[in-house]
Amino acid sequence: MSDQLTMTAAPGAPAARLGRMFTWASERGTLITGLTLSGFILFIGFVGPFIYPVDPFAIHPNHALEAPSLAFPFGTDELGRDELALLLSGGLATLIVSLPAAVLAFVVGVAYGLASGLGPAWLDRLLMRLLDAVLALPSLIILLFFASLVTLNNTSLILLLGFISWPSLARLVRNETMAQKGRDFVLATEQLGAGRFYIARVHLLRVMAPILVVNGTFMIGDAIFALSALSFLGLGVQPPQVSWGSLLETGLDIIALNPWWMILPPGIVVFAALLAASLTGQGLLARWGNRR
Amino acid sequence: MNAVLRIENLSVSLPRGRRNVTILDALNLEVKSGEMLALVGESGSGKTIAALSVMRLLPPGAKLAGHVWLGDTDLTTLDEAGMRQVRGRDAGMVFQNPLAALNPSRTVSAQIEEAYRVHHGGSAKAARARALELLGEVGIPDPATRLDDYPHQFSGGMRQRVMIAMALACSPKLLIADEPTTGLDPLVAKQIMALIGRLRAEHKMGVLFVTHDLSVVEEHADAIHVLYAGRSVEWGAARNFFAHPRHPYSEALLGSVARLGQARLQNIPGNLPEPETRPPGCRFAPRCDYRRPACELGYPPPDRDGGTEAACLFPLPVNARPDIFAPATKSAIAFPPQLEIADLSVRYAAGGGWLSPAKPFIALRDITLSLGAGECLGVVGESGSGKSTLGRAVLQMIRYQGSILLDGQDFSKLSRAQKQVERRRIQVVFQDPRESLNPRIRIRDIIAEPIRLSDAPRETPIGQQVAELLMRVGLNPEIGDRLPGGVSGGQAQRIAIARALAARPEIIVLDEPTSSLDVSTQAMLLNLLKDLAVETGLSYILISHDFAVVSYMADRIAVLNAGQVVEVNDAAAIIANPQSDYTKALVAAAPQLRSINHQYPPVPQDGLTGTTIL
Repeated sequence: MSDQLTMTAAPGAPAARLGRMFTWASERGTLITGLTLSGFILFIGFVGPFIYPVDPFAIHPNHALEAPSLAFPFGTDELGRDELALLLSGGLATLIVSLPAAVLAFVVGVAYGLASGLGPAWLDRLLMRLLDAVLALPSLIILLFFASLVTLNNTSLILLLGFISWPSLARLVRNETMAQKGRDFVLATEQLGAGRFYIARVHLLRVMAPILVVNGTFMIGDAIFALSALSFLGLGVQPPQVSWGSLLETGLDIIALNPWWMILPPGIVVFAALLAASLTGQGLLARWGNRR
Repeated sequence: MNAVLRIENLSVSLPRGRRNVTILDALNLEVKSGEMLALVGESGSGKTIAALSVMRLLPPGAKLAGHVWLGDTDLTTLDEAGMRQVRGRDAGMVFQNPLAALNPSRTVSAQIEEAYRVHHGGSAKAARARALELLGEVGIPDPATRLDDYPHQFSGGMRQRVMIAMALACSPKLLIADEPTTGLDPLVAKQIMALIGRLRAEHKMGVLFVTHDLSVVEEHADAIHVLYAGRSVEWGAARNFFAHPRHPYSEALLGSVARLGQARLQNIPGNLPEPETRPPGCRFAPRCDYRRPACELGYPPPDRDGGTEAACLFPLPVNARPDIFAPATKSAIAFPPQLEIADLSVRYAAGGGWLSPAKPFIALRDITLSLGAGECLGVVGESGSGKSTLGRAVLQMIRYQGSILLDGQDFSKLSRAQKQVERRRIQVVFQDPRESLNPRIRIRDIIAEPIRLSDAPRETPIGQQVAELLMRVGLNPEIGDRLPGGVSGGQAQRIAIARALAARPEIIVLDEPTSSLDVSTQAMLLNLLKDLAVETGLSYILISHDFAVVSYMADRIAVLNAGQVVEVNDAAAIIANPQSDYTKALVAAAPQLRSINHQYPPVPQDGLTGTTIL
C-alpha cells in the first residue's frame, strides 16, 4: 500500500502562490483603500470645518489671489477668502446634499423595483416602460431642465438628485426580484400564508443585501458627481454657499491667471470622493459578488 | 482476458484552502477487456476523482501518486501532450450531464467529427461518414436527418447517446462512464445502460462505470469496487458481492437502498468524515455496528476468505442474511377521507407574444384523486408527466380548473384572504434542500418563521418549540445558530421538514424529497418521514420518479403519464400486478436488487379488485 506516500503541503509552484497572494492583496486592497478614502472624505466634510474654524466668507481684499502660505495654507481666491476654509465648507455643503440624495434614490429605486417585480403583470409592464422612458433621456439634460425651473436650495437639490439617479437600481432590483421570487424558499414562505410585503422585507431584501449595498455605494459616488457637475454649471449649490463643483468653476473662470491652488484641491477631492465610492463598491462586489 | 486498465496504488490529493488534502488513497483496480467494473460510492467517496485521474482531468494543484496502466502504457509517465493523445483515442469518457458536455452552438455531427479527426485526421467526408455510422450505432433513429441538428434539439436520453457516440469515435479500448444515467428518467436510463452493455460486448471494450446506484450495478456490472471516504472497502465479482456482502459498510449500503416492497430501510448513523478528519484506522469504524477496538488501530488489510475481498478485520460471514432484507407486509387500512381532487386540469399559456396568441399547454387533464387522513399517496411519473404540477395545484400555488376540497371545503370558493389562511394546512418539502432554505437566515429563525407567522396561541416559548422541532427531525438544537450554507444536504432537508412541521400542517406535499441525496441519507430521511407520519397522523402526497421510494412510503400509488392518471391502486397491488403497459414498464425499471429480494411482497386479497384503469 502507499501509506508511505507523502503528500507535501505545497499547493503549486512559488509563482502560483505569488499570484494567489496578489489576488488576495488586490481584493482586500481595493476594499481597504476604498474605505480609507471614504473615511477621509467624510472627515474633510464633517469634521474639517471644526478643526480649521476659519470663516470661509471673510474677505481679505489685500490678500486676494495669493498662493499658499503659512497664513493661508491653500491660498486665497480673487476676493481674498481662505481657500482651505472654502474647501472644507464646500465639502460639508456637497455631502449634506449628495448623501441624502443617494439615500432617497436608493429607497425609490428599491421600492420601484420591488413593486414592479412583485406586483401584477400589468403594473410591471407599466413601470418598466416608464423606466425605459426615463432612461432614454440623458440624466444631465433632465437635471438641467428641472434645475432651471425650481428654486435651488438644499431640499430641492436633494429631491432633484434623488429622483434622477434611481432608474438603474430599480431595474436591477426588479430583475433580481423576478429571479428570486420563484425560488423554493419563497414559495414555501407563501405557503405559510405570508403576504408580499413580508416576503419582500424578510426574504428578498436579505438575499439581495450584497447587491444593494454594492450599488448603494456606487450611487453615493454618482450623487456627488452629479451635484458637482450641476454646481460647476452654476445650477447646484447657490452663492454665497460654495461646493466643490462651484469652487472648481470659480478657479477655472480665471484660469488665465493660473490660480492652481484654486483648481487642484477641489478637483482632487471630487476625484477622491468618486474613487472612494467606486473602490468600496468594487471591493464589496469582489467579496460578495460570487456568493448567493 | 488481459486488463485494459490497471490502477496501482493510486492516491490523489487536491488543494483545499492553503494545503493539499488526500481525497483518494491507495486505490488498486483492474478493468478487463469486455468487462464492466462499477466504481461505487456515495458523494465524497472519491469515485469521480478516481475516474478523472485516469484521464488526468484533475483541477489545478492536484497531486497524483501511483500508476495508471492503460494497456502497456503507464499514463503517469506521460506529459500533457502525451495524455492528449490518449484521451479520446485509447479511452473515451461519458459525463453525467450531456447538455453541459456538448457544445450548444455546434451541430452534433461537427462534434463527433471533431472527436474522430483529432486523432485520425483524414477527410471531412470520411469523418462525416463515421459520425453517421456512430449515430446509427448508438440507436438514434433516422441518423442521416439528425446529423446537422444541435444538442438542444435532442432529448436528454438522445443527448447521452450522442455523448456515447463521441466517446466511441476512435473505437477506444476503455470507456469511462461517470454517472451516465443520473438525471435521466428510469425508462430512458434503462435504455442507455442496455446500449452501453451492447457496445461493450460488440467492441470488446472495458467499461469503468462510476455510479452510486447499486441496483444498476447489480443488473449490468461484472465486477464491483466500493469506495468509502477515499479508501476501497470491498471489491470483487458483482455476483458474489450482492449475494454475500462482507464489509459492514456494503451491507449497510445495500440495506439503505429503497426498493420495491421493503419493510424498513437501514440507517447508517453519523456522517461521512471530511477528508481532513478521516479516522486513522478503518474509516467506517465510527459508524460501524460491529466495531471493536482493533478497528481503530490501522487500516485493515483485505480479507480474501469470501467471494469478494473486504478491507475489514471482522468481515461478515458468507452465510449472513440479515433480517433487514425482509419484505414488507402492508395491511390495507381504510383512511377517513381528507383531500378530494376532482376534475383537476392545469393549462399553461406557452409562447405567444404581443401579437401572436398564446397556445395553451395542458399540464394536467381531468385528475380525480383522493387522500385519506394519515395516508401516504404516492404520485409516480417521469419528467413532464405533470406530477410536480399536481403538487403545486394541491398547494394552491398555481391556477387550476376543477376543485380541490380539504375536509369538504372547496379552495376555489374561498376568498383570497381565507385561502391564504387555509393554505397553511398543506405544507411542502422540495427536492433541493439548499433552494428551500433562505441562505441568509439562521436556521433557528427559518424554523421559527411558521410559528411567528401563525395566529395560534403559543403555549411554549418559540425557542423551546424550535429546539423540540430540531430534535424531532433528529438534529442537535445547536445547529440552529448556523446558516444553511453550514450544514450538509441531508441536514438541510431535515431542517426543511422541521420548518414544514412548524406550521402544524395536516398534509405535507413531498416533491422528490430525497432524489438529490445520497443513498444512505435518503434512507434516513425516508425512515424519519415514515416515523413522523405514525407519530402525528400526518398525510403525505409523495411525488417521485423513483418507484422504489414511493413503494416504500406509500399506501396507495397513482401513476401519471402526460398529465393524466394512468392507474391508481394500493401500493402492494400496483407493484405485484400492474395493469397498464406504462406502469408495467415503470415497475420493471424500478430498482430491485433481485439477488437480495427475490420475491414481491404478498398482495392483499382485496387489493386486486380495487384496481382502476383510467
